[in-house]
Amino acid sequence: MRRALPHVAMLCWGVVTAFPLLWAVLSSFKTDQQILTDPWSLPTDPQFGNWARAWGEANIGRYLLNSLIVVGGALVLTMLLGSLVAYALARYEFLGNRLIYYVFVSAMFFPVFLALVPLFFVVRQLGLLDTYQGLILVYAAYAVPFTVFFLHSFFRTLPSEVAEAAFLDGCSHGAVFFRVMLPMARPGLVAVGIFNFLGLWNQYLLPMVLNTDPDRYVLVQGLANLSVSQGYRSDWSGLFAGLTIAMLPVLIAYVAFQRHIRAGMTAGAVK
Amino acid sequence: MNPSPSAKTYPRRRTILKALATTPLLSACVTSGNDDQPSSPTGAKSSQNPLGVKEDAPLEVVIFKGGYGDDYARKAEDLYKQRYPKATIDHKGIQKVGEALQPRFVANTPPDVVDNTGAGRLDLATLVGAKQLADLAELLDAPSFDDPNTKVRDTLLPGVVEDGTFDKQVLTLNFTYTVWGVWYSKSLFAGKGWTYPKTWDEMLALCATIKGAGIAPWTYQGKYPEYMNDPLLTMAAKTGGMDLVKAVDNLEPNAWKADGLKAAAEAFAELAAKGYIMAGSEALSHTESQAAWCQGKAAFIPCGSWLESEQKDVTPKGFDMVMGAVPSRTSGDKLSGAGVQATSSESFIVPAKAKNVAGGQEYLRILFSKQSARSFAETAGTLPAVAGATDGLTLSSGLGSVRDAVTAAGRDAFTYRFRTWYAPLAKAVDDATGELINKRATAAEWADRVQKAADAVAKDSSVKKYTR
Amino acid sequence: MKHGRFRFLVGALLPALVLHGVFVLSPYAQAFYLSLTDWTGVAGEANFVGAGNFARLGGDSLFLDAVRNNAVMLAVVPLVTIALGLFLASMLHLGGKDGRRPIAGAKGYQIVYFFPQLLSLVMIAVLWMFVYNPNTGLLNGALRAVGLDGLARSWLAEPSLALPAVMAVLVWSSVGFYMVLFSAAIDAIPRELYEAALLDGANNWAMFRRVTLPLVRDTVQVAFVYLGIGALDGFAVAQIMTVGPGGPDGATEVMGLTLWRTAFTFGKFGYASAMGVALFFAALTLAVLALRAGRKERIELA
Repeated sequence: MRRALPHVAMLCWGVVTAFPLLWAVLSSFKTDQQILTDPWSLPTDPQFGNWARAWGEANIGRYLLNSLIVVGGALVLTMLLGSLVAYALARYEFLGNRLIYYVFVSAMFFPVFLALVPLFFVVRQLGLLDTYQGLILVYAAYAVPFTVFFLHSFFRTLPSEVAEAAFLDGCSHGAVFFRVMLPMARPGLVAVGIFNFLGLWNQYLLPMVLNTDPDRYVLVQGLANLSVSQGYRSDWSGLFAGLTIAMLPVLIAYVAFQRHIRAGMTAGAVK
Repeated sequence: MNPSPSAKTYPRRRTILKALATTPLLSACVTSGNDDQPSSPTGAKSSQNPLGVKEDAPLEVVIFKGGYGDDYARKAEDLYKQRYPKATIDHKGIQKVGEALQPRFVANTPPDVVDNTGAGRLDLATLVGAKQLADLAELLDAPSFDDPNTKVRDTLLPGVVEDGTFDKQVLTLNFTYTVWGVWYSKSLFAGKGWTYPKTWDEMLALCATIKGAGIAPWTYQGKYPEYMNDPLLTMAAKTGGMDLVKAVDNLEPNAWKADGLKAAAEAFAELAAKGYIMAGSEALSHTESQAAWCQGKAAFIPCGSWLESEQKDVTPKGFDMVMGAVPSRTSGDKLSGAGVQATSSESFIVPAKAKNVAGGQEYLRILFSKQSARSFAETAGTLPAVAGATDGLTLSSGLGSVRDAVTAAGRDAFTYRFRTWYAPLAKAVDDATGELINKRATAAEWADRVQKAADAVAKDSSVKKYTR
Repeated sequence: MKHGRFRFLVGALLPALVLHGVFVLSPYAQAFYLSLTDWTGVAGEANFVGAGNFARLGGDSLFLDAVRNNAVMLAVVPLVTIALGLFLASMLHLGGKDGRRPIAGAKGYQIVYFFPQLLSLVMIAVLWMFVYNPNTGLLNGALRAVGLDGLARSWLAEPSLALPAVMAVLVWSSVGFYMVLFSAAIDAIPRELYEAALLDGANNWAMFRRVTLPLVRDTVQVAFVYLGIGALDGFAVAQIMTVGPGGPDGATEVMGLTLWRTAFTFGKFGYASAMGVALFFAALTLAVLALRAGRKERIELA
């Protein structure tokens, strides 16, 4: 009995988690009629046309690529800038240190809605509207605060002996950071990198305003678009197929890399 | 400039003060929208080119890609291209027009012609208030594309010019003619021997019969209660006549407490109280409820004339949907029982600050030709706002019934304006109606709530007021 | 070294500060200004109206509904998510002979639990819309299949159920992530601590309270901050799933939705900015309180 309880609890939540996802995948093979009349049935005659429609009409492939470019670029920039700031603030005493920390960290609590309209103008004035670069810069700007918040405490806990030894060996401040401290902080970087990746990957308010060119839609925009046009065309099966196409690569990548992700999270949790 | 004394105690105060200190400088970029743009280029006017389009000026067309698709707009673009081969046309078919274009209006870089339609459209009143729309008078007085002897103005169905008029200026031109009513399946009714009711008493009697037959009498697009407003307000207008409609639109005191509105609210409350609305309707989206109706789970559904094309892919063969006029509430109604709410919609606008204003207007002249309108009617299954465009066409069951309804209504075709004039009031009415037909508000409470919201709009000096 | 230190600090801080100033601080600063105007969102004059917009907030029933709902979400979603996450993470570690090792299949569970975190809220909302459908949805279908027809409801259309239904989706989407996070934290707790507690005769619950909870406290705190920010949002889920959206009758209205509608549907950008500013101060107050509480605890622990 004592043995069974954990398994029962885990199984219950497992079913609750997996079932809706599985159901979406199955529904993507059904016809609209089947989805409407008998949501619980298994697809009898797999409708691959749904997938073709979602891929072709909804350009899911292109949106995936756009997402990869924007999120990849933003992630690299965020990690570089965020770790530099966090390290400088955590390991150096100077006037205004605290102020700069709060300037960054308080932005985490700003409602993004508030900034949307003026942000549009800032981006437009810089000529970055509807460009990958513009989106990358804005994504990074909005992800840096959390990165600083997370890594700040992480850098504080790192032992200073190694860094001191490196300084004695004549390393510059930059070299100490890149060659000594950054490698030591790797577990923390991985952890915050994962947080950032997921946050950026699923970001949709910012692209909604700053990225209005359908050719440059990121995945989430593409899907929202699909669910909106579903509203006018009654294409449930196509919507499910689109959801599944968008879902599967991330899930598969996750399963493939989950060991690294878990290692990163362990580091983050135990920092 | 300190926004709030309570902020003083917090460490982040300096951030805030710093932010405020930089404000005046930066805000200049947001609101300095009046910078004069070079006026849009024009070419020489001629009978072929009455609006003086510059032949090689590029044209950007943004079309709401909803139930009608955007092929009809592309066809008109092809015609434009035939006439002006040097012009390049940038076509965009999108769904959320407001989201995509609001920023561009703010930035003074709007497209040349916009189909401002759909749930996420731009707020017209705001655009009008900010003088962002080009006056279409010249277009209306230009010869029509098909017939040089007829002005564009005279080819439009009644009400279209009025629908686009704001403060005596025609600023929008609506391409489709939409009619609201109550839909049912002709074949189902014929099979069961039911006749579409002309009065509300007949409706209630028929609902009892339908319920007895194991079918839910009504369903509605529960996620969007505004769908149920339409029959309710139509019924009220029939009872109270145009005086009631105008009182509502003009935000007159106690307009929403008129007998006609109260009686109509009571009628729909009764529909709910008697269990004549399909269980679960209140949570269904428009597509879900309409699909349930197509499957024969409910007999009636309120909707506009776009329903048939929206349901094209999920309507069973032989369903034969038709639209009926909302039944009259009393025998003393001021409008005839055949009266319908009808309005032109799918508003096309030419932004005043577009790069090619003349081209935008010329595009509309082409789009509102009989040729374009007819091909629209053939594919879109909707009445275009161009008179006689469907003459001689064999129409589908639904569209035929809509055309017949327009004919039968004659002069008793009317529309409420408050929805477009006062969006916050529309939201309040939607919420109240949702409560009414889910038995959480009585007809009197409904009227009180809506009246309060209307009074609030009337009192709000920041809202531009209109009268009719 | 002094010179190199200065150069390094400038190089490390300046690029990020510029980015932050241009894309984060300046838009917020402009929004503060806009909140004092009646700007309609289209190029044109923005008239200064002082605190007028703020005075109206108190009488705006939709905005008040939104504040109430966000407050409820803030109180419920982080707490329930963290409680469930901690519970499942502890259950996961009740395996092995001594009941202190990961149970069989722990890795598989963690993989599956993490799935929702990988999907955007937009996708999750679309999916759950179909789950909650009163007539053809999964949830009522399941209830009817096991004979619980009486429990089948119009989940998103009944005022008392709509907000809990929305919150359930938010909890569903994040429990797995925090479960994995807490599980990692528990893994890192030295086994000796449990063994010592076991020698003291502590049962599972006591060990959870005396060993696990204090040692994952930091992680839990981060989780609270993160979930709290999420609970103040809720825009995507409410916008896509709910009746109205934001209904029935304001039951699922959230501040983001009110702000969005006020700006993009009603065209009142000045007034919408005032809502954002109010939301800003609410979030700021909460953050300060949370950080203060956190600092106090750390001092006590030290």
